[in-house]
Amino acid sequence: MFHKKKIVYLLLLPGLAGILAFYIVPFFGGIYYSLMDGTFESNFVGLANYERVLNNKMFQLGLRNTWELSLMCAPVIWLLAFLLSAMLKSLKDHSVMFRNVLLLPYLMPSSAMLLIWLLMFDYGGVINRLVVQLGFERQLWLEGDALRFPIVLLYIWKNLGFSVVLFSSALAAVHPSLYEYASLEGAGWWTQAFRITLPQILPTAFLVFVLAWVNAFKIFKEVYFIGGAYPTEAVYTLQHYMNNKFAKLEYQDVTTAAYLFAVGVMVLFAMMYASKAVRSPDER
Amino acid sequence: MTRHRMHRREGQLSIAGKFSFLMVSILCILILIPMVFTFLYSFFPKGEIETYLKGRGNYDQTHWMEILYSPAQFSLRQYYKIFIEEPTYLKLFCNSAMYTGAILLGQALVIPLTSYCLSRFTFKGRDALFFLILILMILPFQVTMAPSVMMLRWMGIMDTVWAVILPMCFSPFYIFLLRQFMVGIPNELLEAGMVDGVGPIRGFLHVILPVCRPIIGAAAALSFADTWNMVEQPLVYLANKQALQPLSVMFNQISTERADVAFAGSALYILPALFVYFFFQEDIVAGIQLSELK
Repeated sequence: MFHKKKIVYLLLLPGLAGILAFYIVPFFGGIYYSLMDGTFESNFVGLANYERVLNNKMFQLGLRNTWELSLMCAPVIWLLAFLLSAMLKSLKDHSVMFRNVLLLPYLMPSSAMLLIWLLMFDYGGVINRLVVQLGFERQLWLEGDALRFPIVLLYIWKNLGFSVVLFSSALAAVHPSLYEYASLEGAGWWTQAFRITLPQILPTAFLVFVLAWVNAFKIFKEVYFIGGAYPTEAVYTLQHYMNNKFAKLEYQDVTTAAYLFAVGVMVLFAMMYASKAVRSPDER
Repeated sequence: MTRHRMHRREGQLSIAGKFSFLMVSILCILILIPMVFTFLYSFFPKGEIETYLKGRGNYDQTHWMEILYSPAQFSLRQYYKIFIEEPTYLKLFCNSAMYTGAILLGQALVIPLTSYCLSRFTFKGRDALFFLILILMILPFQVTMAPSVMMLRWMGIMDTVWAVILPMCFSPFYIFLLRQFMVGIPNELLEAGMVDGVGPIRGFLHVILPVCRPIIGAAAALSFADTWNMVEQPLVYLANKQALQPLSVMFNQISTERADVAFAGSALYILPALFVYFFFQEDIVAGIQLSELK
């Protein structure tokens, strides 16, 4: 650790200048902006912008969809990732290969998957074949409310591996003797997974859930690929609202909506921070 | 001894283990299917794939789309068209490559140094700065979008490639990631150097950077994936410049307009990401574990 070295300011200069210019100044500038009206004189209007945006139908729609989409993605990812990492653990030496396959989509551009996705979810496509095989009616996956399904699936396809890796590293730390005792007592796989593994890794499990949730709250790419810039109502997200307001040059509404959005993300993050799973190494 | 143990371990796969093996295998195959078929379809003749794709959107209850497993004739026509006949696609691909290259280079110059300052020095306001970076990291891009645009316009770089490249060079997430790793490097390493008269700069170049190789690999790979698939930033910062857009933004349009070569296009777009993945696999896993905010 270097103390009181003046050179640090020189080394920090490029990074600090960039962060200031592209992140910090816009962040605080945005707060100022959201409290002003959009006229040339820029009058202070207090929370009027917030009131207007909160009462906007499209904003409410976007907020509700984003909320619902994130609540579809996050729990599924969490549960699947937990079960998968528990399974991977019982695979021992083979697990690395499987984990790497699971993580592969995380690095893949989801845009390149668009066409194959559209094929799979076509009215005459593979998914509907499966649906009929299982004895149900064919669905119009690419229209209306059902459009959420391919989007959520693409999101899960891409992001599942990330949570599996987080879970797996926590699972590796659980002491093997616990399982040996449990086996002697006759506990089965499910009992072991939910009675031993889950309680042992609870902080990580909570963290993975909130991380998955925060990230799913930012869902936009997948919706944009499948639904486009002006999608049907069922998948119109907050980010669409902001992008469209932005295209209409209504900056006040964009920033105001953005800060409401930020508050939502912050609340999720505060939950994570409060869980004490998050501590910088200095403090430990 | 080791061989004996390995043998014992493999033989130990219990019934639950075998069941897991089966389940995970099935899931892995399902996960790989979209990619495998993208590559497979990229070798179909143009005409065949075009007719096939035209069969989409048929709402006849009795009609099913065939599932194609092998082409009538194995063909490189799609690739030929992309590379030689119609370079629009290739241009967009080059845009993507240019953005990714420039951003990674910029990040390499700025981010390790900034993380070094945040982890190995004490100075006024360090913790406040780090806390701000933490907050900026978790915020979605749209929060600072509008004020950023005003900033970029004021700088005179709106609607140029710099509007996309420059902000990404200071991406808070990677500063955070590298800082987390650097904090964990034992002090003794630097102190040993300091006794020999190594200053902060040589300490950075000769002590810290070599130790950080794995996390830099991870950050580079994750950042590659990020920029290769970026949509939000170019969509806003280059709204009026379609020619400058990266491929990721234009895929939507391409898949409808140039369906005959779209699979070859997708396959080509996946390929670099695949290389990066195989090269940095282990680093990426380590990097993700660090991002756990410990």
